[in-house]
Amino acid sequence: METGFLQSLELILNFGMPLILLMMAYFIGTWIERRHFRSIRNRESENAEFPVVSFDTMPDDWSASSSTLVSGSVVVSLDYFKRVIAGLRSLVGGRIKTYEPLLDRARRESMLRMIESARRDGYDAIFNVRLETSRLANSRGDGKGTAGVEMLAFGTAVKFASRFARTP
Amino acid sequence: MRFVPRQPREGINVSDTHPLVEAGTLIVGLTAIFALIALALIFFVEIALYFIPVEKEVALFEDWLPEDLVTVSPNDNRLDQTQILVDRLAFHWGDAPYQFRVEIDDSDVANAMALPGGLIVVTEGLLDQVESENELAFVLGHELGHFRNRDHLRALGRGIVLSMFFAVTTGNGESSLGIKVADLTLRGFSRKQEASADEFGLQLVYTHYGHVNEAWRLFERWDDRDHALLDFASYASTHPDSGDRVEDLAALAQRQGWPIAGSLTEVKW
Repeated sequence: METGFLQSLELILNFGMPLILLMMAYFIGTWIERRHFRSIRNRESENAEFPVVSFDTMPDDWSASSSTLVSGSVVVSLDYFKRVIAGLRSLVGGRIKTYEPLLDRARRESMLRMIESARRDGYDAIFNVRLETSRLANSRGDGKGTAGVEMLAFGTAVKFASRFARTP
Repeated sequence: MRFVPRQPREGINVSDTHPLVEAGTLIVGLTAIFALIALALIFFVEIALYFIPVEKEVALFEDWLPEDLVTVSPNDNRLDQTQILVDRLAFHWGDAPYQFRVEIDDSDVANAMALPGGLIVVTEGLLDQVESENELAFVLGHELGHFRNRDHLRALGRGIVLSMFFAVTTGNGESSLGIKVADLTLRGFSRKQEASADEFGLQLVYTHYGHVNEAWRLFERWDDRDHALLDFASYASTHPDSGDRVEDLAALAQRQGWPIAGSLTEVKW
């Protein structure tokens, strides 16, 4: 009787716990992701009028009175569910569909942070926008595994010499 | 140049597939693929085992014991007595290609198993329940019958393939074959295989004692107890139903003209 109990306990610990973790990670992760996307969409429409371009020189018809480097950076972690599914996907290859929203969130969030910081300081537009990404490792003791990704957006913010320049 | 504010379109960088659909597809698909590979490997290993000559099998499994076997003390008198009984029965086999080894498993459930390389494992539970040597002799003779038909190589494929998978996935080259008594007790032989082993076993018992009295008494007792006790659940799960078996054995003895009366031999412990 006792061994039967211990065996079922072992079974629960071996299979039940990861399953519970997986479900928890899925529900919480989905909730956080939905909330984040909602916030991103709202802020994107608020900032839609703000010019952000990737030209590496300032467009000719802009005349700037001052400029500065602006950046926005975000670090997003993967949840356990995404990692497990991506791990399975890595066995056969193909689009890692669970990572795509993660990176999309990171890209858009970093852009928004860059724009918001520029606007807070009174800048009127940003050009030469670049995106950089880096992987944060060492989530496990052996140095393998991924803790999350960092996305960095940076560019040159300018203040226009006259308000007229903004709407040519 | 005019700046036209435009919101990024959705659904370009992010796949529409629901994460749970993705998870389900991967889990079901990969499980199916792995199961197929494992089944195919098990199938081929088991076929290959049947083609191994007996001498190879003996050489391969000479000192082998199942991983989770809990043996009793080597000084246990029951071990010697069972070994002697097996040797005596095997003597009547004539040209038995195996050098039979007996091990007693420290388990309360009654069972007996024929394992590769001529290893016979009987459980303490079985030895506790036999009331005469004749009963034990038939159980052992039955296992010898499995050796003669080479049934005992069955279900080894699973253990071998699973230990291979384990070695590959964990990356440690564990050299021992991961065959466990727990796995082997799950293997079932077909009715025909069991009947054939029974016939051989009973013949050995007859040749040895000159009669088959009480040879299947153990199964009669189990049948009387109406399968209510767990003591013999293990033996019953891998061997034919006690009631049918008793009838078949009695019919066999009658057909062959083997006397069902004769003096019994006491167990020597």
